[in-house]
Amino acid sequence: MLTKQYSVKVFEVTLEDENEFIAFFDKNYVMFTNHLISIYGEVSPKIETYLQEKNLKYIVNTQLPKNRASKSTPKEQVQEKKPVEKIQDNLKVIDKLVRSGQELKIQGDLLLLSRVNSGGSIVIDGNLIITQIVEGDIRCNGNFMMLQASPKANIVFHEVEVDNKYLQDKLNRVELINNEIRITPVLKETKWA
Amino acid sequence: MGIIIAVISGKGGVGKTTTTANLGLGIALNDKKCVVVDFDIGQRNLDMILGLENRVVFDMVQVMDGEANLKQALIKSKMSPNLQFLAASQTKDKSVLNSDKIHKLVTDLSAEFDYVILDAPAGIESGYEHTIEFADRAIVVVNPEVSSIRDADRAIGILDSKSQKVKDGSEVMKYLIINRINPKMVQSGEMLASDDILDILNVPLIGKIPEDKGIIDASNQGKPIILDTNSAAGKAYARIAARLCGQEVPLENVEEPESGLMQKIKEMFV
Repeated sequence: MLTKQYSVKVFEVTLEDENEFIAFFDKNYVMFTNHLISIYGEVSPKIETYLQEKNLKYIVNTQLPKNRASKSTPKEQVQEKKPVEKIQDNLKVIDKLVRSGQELKIQGDLLLLSRVNSGGSIVIDGNLIITQIVEGDIRCNGNFMMLQASPKANIVFHEVEVDNKYLQDKLNRVELINNEIRITPVLKETKWA
Repeated sequence: MGIIIAVISGKGGVGKTTTTANLGLGIALNDKKCVVVDFDIGQRNLDMILGLENRVVFDMVQVMDGEANLKQALIKSKMSPNLQFLAASQTKDKSVLNSDKIHKLVTDLSAEFDYVILDAPAGIESGYEHTIEFADRAIVVVNPEVSSIRDADRAIGILDSKSQKVKDGSEVMKYLIINRINPKMVQSGEMLASDDILDILNVPLIGKIPEDKGIIDASNQGKPIILDTNSAAGKAYARIAARLCGQEVPLENVEEPESGLMQKIKEMFV
């Protein structure tokens, strides 16, 4: 008899609305290619072919032994992978307009409390948080950036241009995860500290 | 010691020279001794707008080089005994300027006058840097359109890093004039609103001037529009001059279109 023991990451999902389900996996399926997807609910033929198309392994309405399982959302897993010591590195706080023609070159992290005007630029190695609108150029190579919706800005994150249309919310978090840029909205009510 | 004020804009054609002429005259009409200096070496204009073009004998560069003394070069305005004018050189170019000579010139002028107003050249090159070098204050002139705002922003950035006051650890006080406001275009959203401009530039507003067709004629005639007490732009300049002289004059809303009887009749036929 041949036996083997290993653990699998399970992604649990309750299936209520087909379209919502497909939309979610369309966006995120890359993250679950090595997961086992445990679905609660009724799996229609449409969903079945969809999951097969995406080559996702799944089980339906199966009670898994869960007493020792650690619960974690995909987002938290991602954060674990970050080198913690890089999150805060020599933080600088600046409360001065970056005017046209001015270039801020920053080693480490920056919290900027003023706007970046058209023609101004920031080049930064570390993380960047700007609390006001950006109309100039940003080049950031840190773990993350937090920016307002800035339709006129020219933003380059790890040598990749970030399309302004993805920065729609009051505050957006732009981060690099497994060589992919992820942009998530941060709500206005978010507590900072 | 008088106050040295540089009038700057970054972009050309937004109304620096017109503003300099009108504010200089406005300050003089408020009983302060005022001198306006054209720093646009090689392209002088201010003499024409002040109606003094045929009176220029010696210019600023000749004074700095010791070829003429200040008394000989200063031209008294016909419009106010308190206003005098120092012309730019039309034949030399800005390479003749140097910091020591300029420092001596503006110090001499500020010893004699209450207000020394320097009309900066457009652009951000050495001529501009020399104009702002020894300024105590700056008046930033913009038009409500994006390129003027960006150029002004750049000019302010240079002011904040290269003027002598900043190098000494203090700050050059700045005031903003929004010039050539077209009330109708502001209301229809085609022109940048003043609040947006103030957000971008972060400089306190000292006045808004509406677009006025009379300005072109006033310049051609050499009679600054501030003398025309019926003109909206002239009245706006007079208010700003009074504010510069320390009077409290409330800001007026020049963005509201006229609503007089004539206007209503005109609208009936449109």
